[in-house]
Amino acid sequence: MEAFATFLLNFVYVSAILALVALGLAMVFGLLGVMNMAHGEFVMLGAYSAYVVQTAQISFFWAIPLAIFVSAILGFLIEWSVIRHLYNRAFDTLLATWGLAILIRKGVEVVFTRDYKSVNQVVPGTVELFGVNYPAYRLILISIIICIFVVLLLWYQRSKVGLRVRAMVQNPGLAAAIGIDIAILSRVTFVIGVSTAGLAGALLAPLVRVEPYIGLDYLLSSFFILVVGGLGSIEGLLIGSTIIGGTDAVISTIFDKTAGYMSVLIISILFLWLRPDGIFYRR
Amino acid sequence: MNSFMKRRDFIKKSLTAAATTAALGGFASRASASGHLKIGVMIPLSGPAGLFGPASKNVSEMAAAEINAAGGILGRQVEIVLGDAGLSPSEVAQTALKLWRGEGCEAFIGMHDSAVRGALINVFKAQVPYVYCPNYEGGECADGVYYVGETPAQSVVPSIEWLAAEKKVKKFYLIGNDYNWPRDTNAIAKETIAKLGGEVVGEEYMPFTVDNFDSSLAKMKETGAELVIITLVGGASVSFNRAFASFGLSENVLRFGTLIDENTLMGIGAENSKNIYSAAGYFANVQTDAAKAFAQGYASKFGSDAAVLNALSQSCYDGLIALDTIAERAGALDTKAMDKAAEGMEYDGPRGHGTMKNRHLAMDIYLANAVGAEFKIVQSFKNQEPGNFCKA
Repeated sequence: MEAFATFLLNFVYVSAILALVALGLAMVFGLLGVMNMAHGEFVMLGAYSAYVVQTAQISFFWAIPLAIFVSAILGFLIEWSVIRHLYNRAFDTLLATWGLAILIRKGVEVVFTRDYKSVNQVVPGTVELFGVNYPAYRLILISIIICIFVVLLLWYQRSKVGLRVRAMVQNPGLAAAIGIDIAILSRVTFVIGVSTAGLAGALLAPLVRVEPYIGLDYLLSSFFILVVGGLGSIEGLLIGSTIIGGTDAVISTIFDKTAGYMSVLIISILFLWLRPDGIFYRR
Repeated sequence: MNSFMKRRDFIKKSLTAAATTAALGGFASRASASGHLKIGVMIPLSGPAGLFGPASKNVSEMAAAEINAAGGILGRQVEIVLGDAGLSPSEVAQTALKLWRGEGCEAFIGMHDSAVRGALINVFKAQVPYVYCPNYEGGECADGVYYVGETPAQSVVPSIEWLAAEKKVKKFYLIGNDYNWPRDTNAIAKETIAKLGGEVVGEEYMPFTVDNFDSSLAKMKETGAELVIITLVGGASVSFNRAFASFGLSENVLRFGTLIDENTLMGIGAENSKNIYSAAGYFANVQTDAAKAFAQGYASKFGSDAAVLNALSQSCYDGLIALDTIAERAGALDTKAMDKAAEGMEYDGPRGHGTMKNRHLAMDIYLANAVGAEFKIVQSFKNQEPGNFCKA
């Protein structure tokens, strides 16, 4: 029973953080068609923001605005200087952002060296839940992620900006014709997308390792989720994270981690092959 | 016609260029044979182990400077030439070949993984002396290769015996990355555990890409493991140990590894390091006179904020000193003479006294306990035998 409760909590946790990490990529790739290979680097920058805040000996709370600020500024500069010239050229965005990813990694390496950094637990210790001692911060993180997604879903479906974004995604030409400024809207979408990646990094920093190369891991898992869930919808993103996180958790518990990781790869390959648009596809 | 002429021209020009290069190359290596002694230093400058590159480079420069101040090797001033050992084995083999045949390096030291070592042994084929520096799984005895790193017989066996006796642990859980070093190390660990009457309650090997260890942590809890032997490397070790502590396991369950170095511990973090033990021939915090002098020398040469020292990077120093000692004993940089001279070779370094037996180094081993983000030595095992892998 205890083992099962642990398994369930792990499953919810891993699905939640996967969804959070993939969110930014889903926005940028799903809505703008930009394959942002530097997505993981924004997660990494978010994690370093938490480290900077810790080094400055101020409350961890400040990591969140700092991460969002850093990602938003950098995202704005990247969109303005590179991405806006490359809309509708998906493969070119892939190459350009891959180059930027290397640049960001090396930049961080210059400033912080390659050493591992440790960000302290904000809420250390465990809490008893369903008879299991579970890390308190993980439970808090799950709640925060649920809140983020509820707010985002409401905003996307109810707000005027959300409506304009949906109009732009469905028919850019027509959206422009009725007076929607596509250039500004794309820029806002890109900046918000990378900012959520930075936010994810700051929130995850106390739990994970922090070094200049962690971005690649997050990029890879985010792509798996989008492949399975499909592009352009929040539902697809959540289902993708649940399938990828769940399969890994189930198979790893029954067999071992190698089998778990292999099953994730097999599922991604099957989806690419048999259902390349993923489960949810709205375009 | 025109293009044909151009092609002929091109071929002629490139042949001339190639011949010139070959002649110059030959000249360069002849020149170096009478002048400076070039030593190829194969250390990770990129890739996951690139983290250890800066300290390895510093330490090698330090050793070379000290050897030169004492008159060089066989009367020749030493010049180190760095090669990146952080790439794939075949690429590193190409680099080493270039340094050997092209640059005229007459000896090599290496601080890299076992797969790269295998590739380099194949390139060198005992024609050029090669000192393998870091800790490894043991079991080799190639001609012209001298191993100065710790083997599991030296570090793992006495540490498990000590922890079992002092901490009364009976249930062991083994977790590592999936390649030969963890598997071979654990094979030896399992023998020791069986001898002590302990029980192995779990054994797992992870692909390198894994950074979520939840299912393993659940199994550790379920099986009531008392000591987890960790052969995960680098980032995987950091991620695992952080998650391990976040589940509250660090309070009662001990952790032990021979690759949990100062850098890894920094990533694990002070608040997640309780009950971590590590064993190696060197820690930055060893308090012997020789080790303190070495650490001070390092700090004064490279500054107090220079790359952190650990057993891996420090092993490059021992590698160069061992090369010097063996070459001087042999009287030539000839592998046949050096193979003979290596047996019984002795030197004193930052790690203490080392004696070479069967191409491996018998040395002192330290067992350290993590206190916050630092290691404190809790036990030293004197003059540990590396094991004999040279039997026919």
